Amino acid sequence: MLSFRTTGFNGYAVKYSPFFDSRIACAASSNFGLVGNGRLYILNLTPQGIVAEKWFDTQDSLFDVTFSESNANQLAVASGDGSIKLFDATLNDFPIRQWREHTREVFSLSWNLVDKNIFASSSWDGNVKIWNPTAPQSLRTINIGSCTYSVAFQPSSPTVLSAVSSDGFMRVFDLRAPEPSAEIAKTRVSPGEVLTQDWNKYRPSVIATAGVDRSIRVWDLKMPSMCQTELVGHEYAVRRIAWSPHWQDVVLSASYDMSVRVWTDGSAQAGGAGPGTGRLLGVMDRHTEFCAGVDWCLFGGEGWAASTGWDEMVWVWDVGSTMGSR
Amino acid sequence: MSGASNRLASLKSQLTSSTARDRLLQKNPDDIVVTCALRTAFTKGGRGLFKDTHAGDLLAGIFQGVIKTSGIDPALVEDISVGNVLAPGAGATEFRAAAIVAGFPTTTAVKATNRQCSSGLQACVDIASAISAGIIEVGIGAGVESMSNNYGPDAVSEFSELLNSVKKAKDCKVPMGVLSEQMAKDKGIARVNQDAFAAKSYQKAEAAQKAGLFKEEIWPIETSFEDPKTGEKKRVVVNADDGVRPGMTAEALAKIKPAFAKDGSIHAGNASQISDGAAAVLLMKRSTAQKLGQKIIGKFVTASVAGVDPLLMGIGPWASIPKVFEKTGLSKEDVDIFEINEAFASQCLWCANELGLDEKKINPKGGAIAFGHPLGCTGARQVSTLLTELRRTGGKIGVTSMCIGTGMGMAAVWVAEN
Repeated sequence: MLSFRTTGFNGYAVKYSPFFDSRIACAASSNFGLVGNGRLYILNLTPQGIVAEKWFDTQDSLFDVTFSESNANQLAVASGDGSIKLFDATLNDFPIRQWREHTREVFSLSWNLVDKNIFASSSWDGNVKIWNPTAPQSLRTINIGSCTYSVAFQPSSPTVLSAVSSDGFMRVFDLRAPEPSAEIAKTRVSPGEVLTQDWNKYRPSVIATAGVDRSIRVWDLKMPSMCQTELVGHEYAVRRIAWSPHWQDVVLSASYDMSVRVWTDGSAQAGGAGPGTGRLLGVMDRHTEFCAGVDWCLFGGEGWAASTGWDEMVWVWDVGSTMGSR
Repeated sequence: MSGASNRLASLKSQLTSSTARDRLLQKNPDDIVVTCALRTAFTKGGRGLFKDTHAGDLLAGIFQGVIKTSGIDPALVEDISVGNVLAPGAGATEFRAAAIVAGFPTTTAVKATNRQCSSGLQACVDIASAISAGIIEVGIGAGVESMSNNYGPDAVSEFSELLNSVKKAKDCKVPMGVLSEQMAKDKGIARVNQDAFAAKSYQKAEAAQKAGLFKEEIWPIETSFEDPKTGEKKRVVVNADDGVRPGMTAEALAKIKPAFAKDGSIHAGNASQISDGAAAVLLMKRSTAQKLGQKIIGKFVTASVAGVDPLLMGIGPWASIPKVFEKTGLSKEDVDIFEINEAFASQCLWCANELGLDEKKINPKGGAIAFGHPLGCTGARQVSTLLTELRRTGGKIGVTSMCIGTGMGMAAVWVAEN
């Protein structure tokens, strides 16, 4: 296990670069993101451990980060002051562009993996916005109506995205559908606030959601009224989940209960014949405060992941060793 | 931008609440709370002790009850919405006068609201919404009906040729009894089940009355009454529902002749009674209540309204309750008491069965079949009946709902406190 201390800043999100196997970004905030500055770390995995290649300080807290899929050095951050800032890792100090349209905390960002010219943002102001990094204004605003904690593009579609929000719903949109709503599906996925979601990397209609009610639920949009699998075990709200890019049934979750957990949704055993029985595969318990961010490495040996939390730590670890035997 | 306190509150809610029920039970400064909910006794239309009392007088009486019980400074009440169905113009003029009589200054505004049988609830929802929107700080949602004075053939105006030319539009004026009879037939709601449901309502109301469970919600009204036998006029204090027949059984109800069709199933004993009465609910933000030292007895969460086929108006609660569940994330198991208006035993029973509601949770003190349904009042009446019973039984979450003439339903979620 490798680690890096984000001294004075509490981690909110961590992401692997889609271009460099050694680069990780971490969005962090002082004073637990309640008040004060934010800092974006560009971390480098070196033979000498993790080194901060660079960092960018921001006026307000940072809650999420996403790498550009079109420019190897660019990445966008979601800020508490409602702004989105685009930084270039080859430059210093200041963002190369920023957008101020959201009226409250921006909480999540998602870059489209197919149409690499667009990314989406979601905010506590109840809106999702679609952006082109070269355009000064957003391309489109989709009103959700309540605090939207997460937005995510479907990984194999240029136009389909989903949003989860404090009202307990997951809404799926297709940008090809007519304005204003573009909504193609809406499902109650939790009795409480939904904080996070992730599309499965292998099954295009499968998505997992999680939040305040501590459960992770797996949904198949072909049957949106029925939860496929429920993964229960976290003792507090689940803040971030991420499906493995290598194992189609494995999902990681970071929770306020200070643990990062590894789960299978059981679909591997079911052999693709419908939902299986999900279960816990392992627990990573090195964090000593709320865990807020987790991401998988796309490169090299399968199963490497990074996590961050309010304990000012970024851990890089081998999920395989946590899972034991599958 | 929101400050640190907003972020902290958001974080706290993520940590502390795990279910919709928990979230509803949280107390936040911007909650819309109830600090007083009262009703008058309900008496039989045309015969009861309120037969000579005008709707405006009933309203003035219940307003005085709210002022005295809550101790609110009447000058702080910015708006009053009064539900009413039958008075000309829904009683807008006389209700403004009634507020002045009750002791509200002329700075307190008054309006009349008519959404048929949900008018009393709609009045509360209007006031709650105005408070949330920041239009007013303190308001009263109320309802009143003198069916003795205003019930009759004039209650529905003539339809134009145009309205009559569209079948669904014309259906809007089919009388409630007639369409409910048809609905009972179509949905296969047997008379024996309706009578059993109705007898239960009487029995529950009788038990509640004997145990004094209505005492807290009923504000006594002093009024004049002319004895129809002697012609003698006297002053009376009305403090109990007169429609509750002691010792009622399903067998006794089985003997009553159907009212709307020879082979029908609906009769005077398994439908709501024609009654007179008033009710009022004092609403404000929690922060305002705390500032004023008002005792909080409950909170209004949200409401839903749903349209249905005009001829199936009785299914209104079946359409509106799931809608309010979807908004709040509640399920039927989370709810401790359902106050569903018993317009007809047939429709109330059908809705309860169709929604799979636990019989024990529905109208635990009886309903309109036993003590009456003064149309515009009922929605506001249910609030006092619900909150007192939730508190007595240690329950927390309640739903009030009713079917609405012309084919609608409303439902609201309330939380009892203390």
